[in-house]
Amino acid sequence: MNRTLIGFIRKELTQTLRDKRMRILLFVMPVIQLTLFGVAISNEVKNIRLAAVFDSRDTVLRDVYERSIAGKWFIPAKSRAHDAYTMIEAGDADAVLVPPPGGFTRALGRGDAHLQLLVNATNVLQAQSVEGYLQNIIQQTVKDDMKLTPPDFPIQINTRVLFNPDLETSVFMVPGVMAMIMIISTMVMANIAIVREKEMGTFEMLISAPVSRSEVIYGKTIPYVLLGMSNLPLILAVAVFVFQVPMRGSLLLLLSAALAFVCTTVAVGTLISTYCQNQQQATLAGFLFIFPMIMFSGMMFPLENMPVVLQWISYFDPLAHFLGLLRNIMLKGGETTYVATHIAVLAALAVATVVASFRRFHTTLE
Amino acid sequence: MKTFVWRRAAAVSRKEVLHILRDPYTLGAALALPVFMVIMFGVAIEFNVKNVALTVCDSDQTQSSRRLLDSFGSSQYFLLHGVPSPYEAVKEVSAERARAALIIPPRFEKDLFDGRGAEVQMLVDGSDNSTVGPVLSYVSSIQTIASRRIADYDPPAPYDLRTRFLFNPELNSRWFVIPGLTVVVMSILSILLTALTIAREWENGSMELLLSTPVEPLEIIVGKLAPYGALGIIAVAFVYVIARTVFGIPFVGNLAVFGLGCLLFLMTYLAQGLLISVVTRKQTIAMQLAMMSGMLPSNLLSGFIFPIESMPKFFQYFTMILPARWFMTIARDTFLVGSSFFELSGSFLALSIFCVLMILIATRRFKRDLEP
Repeated sequence: MNRTLIGFIRKELTQTLRDKRMRILLFVMPVIQLTLFGVAISNEVKNIRLAAVFDSRDTVLRDVYERSIAGKWFIPAKSRAHDAYTMIEAGDADAVLVPPPGGFTRALGRGDAHLQLLVNATNVLQAQSVEGYLQNIIQQTVKDDMKLTPPDFPIQINTRVLFNPDLETSVFMVPGVMAMIMIISTMVMANIAIVREKEMGTFEMLISAPVSRSEVIYGKTIPYVLLGMSNLPLILAVAVFVFQVPMRGSLLLLLSAALAFVCTTVAVGTLISTYCQNQQQATLAGFLFIFPMIMFSGMMFPLENMPVVLQWISYFDPLAHFLGLLRNIMLKGGETTYVATHIAVLAALAVATVVASFRRFHTTLE
Repeated sequence: MKTFVWRRAAAVSRKEVLHILRDPYTLGAALALPVFMVIMFGVAIEFNVKNVALTVCDSDQTQSSRRLLDSFGSSQYFLLHGVPSPYEAVKEVSAERARAALIIPPRFEKDLFDGRGAEVQMLVDGSDNSTVGPVLSYVSSIQTIASRRIADYDPPAPYDLRTRFLFNPELNSRWFVIPGLTVVVMSILSILLTALTIAREWENGSMELLLSTPVEPLEIIVGKLAPYGALGIIAVAFVYVIARTVFGIPFVGNLAVFGLGCLLFLMTYLAQGLLISVVTRKQTIAMQLAMMSGMLPSNLLSGFIFPIESMPKFFQYFTMILPARWFMTIARDTFLVGSSFFELSGSFLALSIFCVLMILIATRRFKRDLEP
């Protein structure tokens, strides 16, 4: 490293960290965000408002209802309406059980019991879970109440969930949120830093100064790689100590994965900055990239279902690789070939974008 | 002297419109973003998981074990590939080449015909939340099918549960996601763009210049925000048209109710953007703050994907201070349920309160910061 470059990096870091508000945004907010989102969001569906229409003699349906409420998934719905459809339409209930005329218990005795379940399906995920939960509860209750014990299935599928046996939501979500926080603080920051100089006119000064093109690029990017990496210990500590996300793999592997990821995102930010003239453009362009990145990362939406063409896009999504690496290293202990491949892909993406931004820098300076 | 003159506000607006139009890049990005997002989300998102990679270790190699594999393979839920040993099956899962492993023991067929009940083992990858839930539920339905096919086990069901999914009978993921996208799109455009533009005026001093002119502060605010409001409305109109025409999403509610919700929400977020710019006066910080107070919450805490009901109690109350949460209800219910204004009055009331409150705080703060 030469002296110009060191001076450059020092200036960039001083400039960013000089502002107290910026220091808070960079080091305190990620921790708060991770805590907040780690606690708040989950895919598990809970507190579904359930109503059931039954009279006092319908003991089986009453048991179904009471068992549902006693579990953690359902809460009783409060409604003035008596009609099942109206209850849901008015937003008082999420699901309503409607027995056949004469009651579910008597229909069971007759042997043609059709129990109807009405679910508000505006939230598709919730609707699916509600049906699944209730199916289990009804099956169990009918079995217990009617003393019906059908013989066991001749084929038993003994299911075990690996790596996260209790299906803790935070174990799923926290690595995703970690990756998301890191991408915002690195890509957008690097992008804005360069565009700001252009906007203020200091960039021209930089060109006329006796520094080479590579010194400008490295001087503008390395500080943000450092800043991004300095975030990692903080959020990793929150993940491991607050959320009890296991850390089964080696810390060194995780660090190298993070380094490869941060290099890629900073490089992408730099590349975007060469196309932008002011900070407004830079921010919007940043979002045009961040949104698809989050989408194709597999954090919120399953990748398996996307059309094949879009799955190909996810191979170019640094976030997808990093999320995969985080989960593999933290939860599964890091499988050598997988980790090596994906770190290599990230590094290749970083190199490709750096080369591309070198080219772009050249043309914009002419 | 302190009268509000529309002509002056309009002049400020005109300058802002020219400013936006002169920069086709920003305009393009602002209008492309919603279109791009709706199409991407519409094409790519499917919550009904299919083609889950399943690795199989069949140590039995009999007709029955092959028929069991057939039951898995023909369900469309799984894509099978075989490995020779259970050890390698687990390895496939930890190397992310499979999301689940099925292990059939050597005595499978023998146990089955002896009447002892045959047991197979299914190992599911618990590190990926988007597949683990669906896989668990598929397994039990495959168990029923396989028992019937292979062992002729078909006990009469004592009852049958008929589920009616209201408002989205086919559980179409797009119907769920795209109405919510209106909220996300508006939150990005309104909060971010206003926060940035006005912060820039502070940053390069042109705001002070504007103040020395006879334009009143309120006229500046209205003039500056109106064009961005219009941009937000155009973006929502885009989302609406694409949702209806390209993806065939129904809109059973009242368009005026939805429009009113849009306006209130937009005004709230524009005011929030203004407030951010006044407080920060620097684009870099304004951008970060806009992201944290507007974008992330409206994505993650508004009920867009992650249900509010499932959050811990504290967060359920916390989301009540997010305008996005209330507008999310309005957007979804007018699209799919067809709720009337009266049925949504709670959400409208909350949204109006935030709107008025945010405008008051923002204008107050703006005026105070102007006075020397």
